[in-house]
Amino acid sequence: MANLPPENKQLIERLRDPATCRAAFGEVIKTYTEPLYWQIRRMVQSHEDANDLLQNTFLKAWSSIENFRGEARLSTWLYKIAINESITFLDRERKRLNISLDDQEAALANTIEADPYFDGDKLQMKLRKAIASLPEKQRIVFNMKYFDDMKYDDMSAILGTSVGALKASYHLAVKKIGQFFSDED
Amino acid sequence: MKEEKDILAKIDRQSGMTVPDGYFESFAASLEQNLPVRDEAENPEKIILSPPTLWIRVRPYVYLAAMFAGVWCMLKMFVLRSSPTDGNAAIDRNPILAEALGNDAFVDEYIIDDINQWDLFDEMMDDGVDASSFDLAADSGFNDGFVDPAALQVQND
Repeated sequence: MANLPPENKQLIERLRDPATCRAAFGEVIKTYTEPLYWQIRRMVQSHEDANDLLQNTFLKAWSSIENFRGEARLSTWLYKIAINESITFLDRERKRLNISLDDQEAALANTIEADPYFDGDKLQMKLRKAIASLPEKQRIVFNMKYFDDMKYDDMSAILGTSVGALKASYHLAVKKIGQFFSDED
Repeated sequence: MKEEKDILAKIDRQSGMTVPDGYFESFAASLEQNLPVRDEAENPEKIILSPPTLWIRVRPYVYLAAMFAGVWCMLKMFVLRSSPTDGNAAIDRNPILAEALGNDAFVDEYIIDDINQWDLFDEMMDDGVDASSFDLAADSGFNDGFVDPAALQVQND
């Protein structure tokens, strides 16, 4: 699991140049495939769904690449698209299956249990279920902080939330995960 | 909080999730090859804007004219509704009504006939007619709660 890749100014310059933007975007794909995949996968749990959403994320970025002015960091922009795609997907699934938020947590837990792409131990399985039981915002914050060790400032730029609120969200998420483990024991 | 941190430290930031072998490499290569062509980004000079049609050029003026026409209609309606003398109900614009009001028989039948019995009674009193000569109790509707019957009790001779 990778942390946010460092910003490459030359890459951004090449993205802005019509002659080199396709090749530069190929590099963007190579650089950001893994971090974005894990971010999406931790939200939707299923590999197949994560694969589709990752593809959509890059295609959306490509379809509006000329609008990327460079005011925000490239990584921030891509993470925003990926997280929006994941949230939209979960909302759409909830509406499609006509289930509540609680039911969706149970559905995610089932997906985790049936996941063929998992080789972790029981503790890791339990942690995945605990994370799936968190509210959406806390889940995103926890994943970014715990797995990616992302700085709160970067998270703030991606999620558009204050650093204080993010710290509080993470703290609450950790408490709830602890509670989840206590209840299960 | 320490207990929770112990659990998380034990897991050591590993979720246990995996991907198929070579997934990231094949995903990146496949997507890069299948990126759709986008002239807006790759060949902006290729995009030749077609000249605007007549409708596109006049459209703002048509919309503006339609908006003013709508406002004018609303004002006209407002004026018509707020000044009834300007409408067809005015006597000078309604010859049938004017003729009817000029006809004494019509006025007697439809307007004078509607006179209140109390007005008539007052008129008669003013003219010196003796009220005691009438049998008020026999006149149905005359004592419908307007006056105290005792006060108007007829002196039967």
